[in-house]
Amino acid sequence: MAGPARLRERLRQRAAEWARRRQGPDRLPLVLGRRRLYILPTRAGLGFGALVLTMLVAGLNYTNSLALLFAFLLVGFALVAMHECHRNLLGVSLLEAAAAPLFAGSTGTLRLTLENASRVPRYRIEAAVSAELPRTLDLSAGGRGQIEVPIRANRRGLQRIERLRLSSSHPFGLFRVWTWIHAPIAVIVYPRATGSLPLPAGRGAQSGTWPRATAGADEWLGLRPFRDGDSPRQVAWKAYAREAPLLVKEYSSTGSPLRLLSLRDTRQPDIESRLAQLARWVVDAEAGGDLYGLELPGESIPAQRGPDHRHRCLSALALYGS
Amino acid sequence: MSGARTARPAPTSPLLWVCAASAAAFLLHAAQVPVWITLTALGLVGWRLAAALGTVRLPGGIVRVALGLALIAAVLAHYHTLNGLAPGTAMLMLMAAIKVLETHSRRDQYVVLGGALFLLLAACLDGQQLARVPLYAAEALLCCSALAVVAYAPESGERTFPPPAGLRTREVITLAGRTLLYAIPLAIPLFLFFPRLTGHFWTVAPDDEAVTGLGDTLTPGGITRLTASYDIAFRARFEGRPPPPNELYWRGPVLHEFDGATWSAGQYSPGEAQLLECLSRPYHYRLYLEPTFRHWWLALDTVMGPPNAGVRYTDDYELIAPQPVSRSLSYDAASCAHTQSLARLSSTARLEDTELPRGRNLRSAAMALQLRRRAGSDIAFVQAVLAFLRSGGFTYSITPPPLGPDPVDDFLFDTRSGFCGHYASAFVDLMRAAGVPARVVTGYLGGQWNPYDATLVIRQSDAHAWAEVWLADRGWTRVDPTAVVAPERLYRGILDLLPDAVSAPARLVHAWPWLGAALERWDAANGWWNERFVSFNERTQLDLLRTLGIRSPDLRDAGWAFAAALLAWLGWVSWQVGGGNGAPRADRLGRAYTRLCRKLAQVGLPREPHQGPLAYAQVVIQHRPDLASRVRPLLEDYAALRFGPARDHADIKAFEHTVARLSIRRPSARRGID
Repeated sequence: MAGPARLRERLRQRAAEWARRRQGPDRLPLVLGRRRLYILPTRAGLGFGALVLTMLVAGLNYTNSLALLFAFLLVGFALVAMHECHRNLLGVSLLEAAAAPLFAGSTGTLRLTLENASRVPRYRIEAAVSAELPRTLDLSAGGRGQIEVPIRANRRGLQRIERLRLSSSHPFGLFRVWTWIHAPIAVIVYPRATGSLPLPAGRGAQSGTWPRATAGADEWLGLRPFRDGDSPRQVAWKAYAREAPLLVKEYSSTGSPLRLLSLRDTRQPDIESRLAQLARWVVDAEAGGDLYGLELPGESIPAQRGPDHRHRCLSALALYGS
Repeated sequence: MSGARTARPAPTSPLLWVCAASAAAFLLHAAQVPVWITLTALGLVGWRLAAALGTVRLPGGIVRVALGLALIAAVLAHYHTLNGLAPGTAMLMLMAAIKVLETHSRRDQYVVLGGALFLLLAACLDGQQLARVPLYAAEALLCCSALAVVAYAPESGERTFPPPAGLRTREVITLAGRTLLYAIPLAIPLFLFFPRLTGHFWTVAPDDEAVTGLGDTLTPGGITRLTASYDIAFRARFEGRPPPPNELYWRGPVLHEFDGATWSAGQYSPGEAQLLECLSRPYHYRLYLEPTFRHWWLALDTVMGPPNAGVRYTDDYELIAPQPVSRSLSYDAASCAHTQSLARLSSTARLEDTELPRGRNLRSAAMALQLRRRAGSDIAFVQAVLAFLRSGGFTYSITPPPLGPDPVDDFLFDTRSGFCGHYASAFVDLMRAAGVPARVVTGYLGGQWNPYDATLVIRQSDAHAWAEVWLADRGWTRVDPTAVVAPERLYRGILDLLPDAVSAPARLVHAWPWLGAALERWDAANGWWNERFVSFNERTQLDLLRTLGIRSPDLRDAGWAFAAALLAWLGWVSWQVGGGNGAPRADRLGRAYTRLCRKLAQVGLPREPHQGPLAYAQVVIQHRPDLASRVRPLLEDYAALRFGPARDHADIKAFEHTVARLSIRRPSARRGID
């Protein structure tokens, strides 16, 4: 069972490598031209071919003109379908490919912007990264659309999307046209935000104030939607139990403490766990509305807060050592 | 969460198309298979649809297997075999219907559609009549449309966001129809030039089908079954003028053996034909025979030789083919209306053709002997019997009274009313009773002239029976006793003589001549179809290549023509299908606007892509105030034509014209644009 599957996977790999050498690197935006479109019959297409062959042989054997005529009609049908399938992807442009940063071990989305500059609509364009299930999109004549492809991140760092596959088997599913895109698309993968150490004590915003032990003891601000990396402690579980979406309690940070998050304060044995702990702290500190700074060997980010700062800190953790 | 569930397109829609395609495929065979098979197949499809709507539950695997076995058993019980087209089709229908019942994934749906296309193939093998072609084409379109729907619908379990909008029915049919239309220009040359086989890959079992037509036996009243049929038996196209009506005897099976009630070919095995001398100018014609599922080929009496080497030409002057006629075919033949045998009648043949059942029809036998004694010669005897029929108060009727155990006696002396079968039978009986060799010939008499394709159309209702007697100096001589009783039969169709005898359509045609004309056209179209399309084979293909100027064509030439047609079509299709691909081509108005912009760009005032016509006008005037009076109105016109309410074609033409005449000079070198 595994033999043919492995063989198919190896063949696919070889073909992809061949296509990469042949096509060279790509740059966005790019228009899908003839040279980069590949087309092969699908399994249904092979079945259709066998059926037409049977019709042909039966028609010849019984000298049955009508069976022969229908066999030839279906041959023509399949050939036109092949052209239509090829045309369904030909000339489509990939304008942009962007992915929001994500935490290692989670699933994010790669957002592709496709444009159809032609007068004919395009149907069921499928996009996939590696072996993930494809997502599909229809494009009206002259239309533009976005398609969100799931991507999985396993390790922190800059994850390159080596190969993006756009394909379609429209209109009859007898053929599949596809292209491989090797564009410099990269997504920042933050370290997993894990670790059980409490947030390091901070100095008060104004010197002299004693820091509080936990974040979020300030005055109540309201609820906001859950974001990746939010601490479970801040989730409004009671609201969730009443079938509300996952919400996070937010507090104002008047007189918020100033925390310096440093690699030295983490006590895990290996560097990845320590970075994970730092990421946890960054997330918690941001959620708590604290001012926080990050200190890594060779890099120091002054205390600040806000989504941009959070991203800056997490990116530094993601790219640490690379 | 529930919102997301309802937003998804109803999953029944591809199922609905797949079910429609298979149900239509089942209906194509409704006339061929027993009614219960069609109903069962349709019922299973209905079950699947009802289950999709949630009204009933789908059967489990065990039930399906049990159902499948039961249906196989039922088909076996009905046909006693699974071999052959009809049982095979029945099996395919039922299995496809069970497959519909367990259709869930996209793969299942493709398999069901494959089954429907297979049933289309079976339908083609079943019959190629012109009238069926639109049905077949509709089924092909339905299957292809269903393919599009299945391919478009998300696979069950597949998560798509946003959910696909779905194709509307019209879009689907347009898509599949357009693809099929593009395929037609390929299908026709492929059909014409794809190299044909001269043999078979596997032997074709002759199919035994009940069709209306001449049988192997004749009971005196039997032919009435045929007169009720308006079906075409065959058509003939003559070189030159067709023969007069009294020579339009089309010879079918010759019957030798009489058991007192029924005539049959008997044990007599026909030898090879003996030499005939043609006493009149022979008629040359081409005969287009509809399927009879019998071995004999019909020809005008008396045919002078076999149309091709594979067909036997017997000493009954019948044409016997090795294979039964299971599809329309055509052949050239030559026939002579007046002939003379040069050989003698063999003693076995004489014995065979004077034999009568013992102890039956004694009264007529006695009369025959008496008439023969009085006549003195065989010819005179024939004349005497004909005179007896002419003056004996006989009537021509399609519904004669039933006859008793001595049918000839009853007919001649009692009922005196009958049809061609009665007269031929009685006449031959009388001849044999007097020792004159005689036999019954069945076939057709007459034919209807169709002016639209210049053919003579012979219908089943023209079926006829007559007699042949052996006369020492002339050989076998045709005698038609019916013609003595009802001479009009020769010149007018059976319709005029016995309006009650014939089928309703025939009567309608008789009543409304315009309907007859329409039917004649339809017959002509059918004739063309059968002659040119259905019987297209390797021989006609080579003829076609010869017509195209290839001197001694062979399979290879057909292959070349085939390849050339394929390449030309591929080029055409990629041009057609790829045509809509580039950036949208500007319309006339857009082209004129582009031209205006180009003229302005030439003097150093290019339009930026983000500028609309009015913004562009401002920029132009800012730099070149001297152009304001000429260029501003043009750009304003363009904006009005493009974005305003619909304008006249003349306005666009005027705009084009003004743009064409516009000439803009560069500013003097010193007055540069800054």
